[in-house]
Amino acid sequence: MPQYRTQGKIIADILTTARDMNQDGQGVGITTLLRRGNVSYTRMTKLIVDLVGAGLLLEETLEKNSKYRISAKGMMFLQQYVQFEDFAQSYGLRL
Amino acid sequence: MIMFENALQFIGAFVAFSIALVAYKGVRETSSSSMLRLAAAFVFLGTGFVLEGLEGVGAFGSIPGLEVSLATILLAGLFLQTVGYFFLAFSHVLDVVVSRRLGPLLVLLPIFAVSPTSVDTVLRSLSFYFILYGVLETALSYSKTRNPNTLFIATGLGMLAAGWWVSLAAPDMALLTLLQLLMREVGLIALFVPVLKFSFRKPGDLLNAPV
Repeated sequence: MPQYRTQGKIIADILTTARDMNQDGQGVGITTLLRRGNVSYTRMTKLIVDLVGAGLLLEETLEKNSKYRISAKGMMFLQQYVQFEDFAQSYGLRL
Repeated sequence: MIMFENALQFIGAFVAFSIALVAYKGVRETSSSSMLRLAAAFVFLGTGFVLEGLEGVGAFGSIPGLEVSLATILLAGLFLQTVGYFFLAFSHVLDVVVSRRLGPLLVLLPIFAVSPTSVDTVLRSLSFYFILYGVLETALSYSKTRNPNTLFIATGLGMLAAGWWVSLAAPDMALLTLLQLLMREVGLIALFVPVLKFSFRKPGDLLNAPV
């Protein structure tokens, strides 16, 4: 049976990618986010706009290329998401 | 024994409202419908425990103008607990992880609970079936996630189900009454474990946790 991801899980996956794949400190590109986030390009661009707007992702544009880094607020969201995911999982539920 | 039973109702209410509070925080932070159902389930359970506990200590008789019959209060408490356990089971039905395998059980099993006995027995039977369903789903969830907390909850729900079963099978035997009270006590403590873990977790512990 396929496991459908909730919107929260997709956002958490994107933020995790932005946190973990930012090894050079310059941010990650949309290709990396697409590959790891496993959503369509159209949906990803809409999500990124929303996440940047909410202050969870930081956008930096260099020579027409946008790079994304997780913000402090994004780290906070991710931390709380993991806590509540573990809590829900304890009762046999998915967040 | 009655004192112990009343104390158990208030401990149950404390545990249920604590879980509901954490679940409600989860609803606010993540807008998760699973957390909303979990919060609703434990609010109903907690209110049911409080009603039964207050009835046990005779609080309703001592308040002027609130002389409600004991049977009505007990039934209201039991009804709220049954609704709480239903929500707990219902959360699993809506969760697509394992619902298609066990979902029909939730509909089929309570049919056996409807018998020409008292409403009290019917409510207790329904609660038993809902908890049992929760045990099965939580145990299946543990087999997938291997999260030790899930095992705690499955065990706790199992103890609660066993307690309910003993109370249904032999309601008047003193030794078994004590046994079922102890089972329910252990079950409630097990349900409280994730709340404790949640409360005492350091913020920094999770910064690098995998999602």
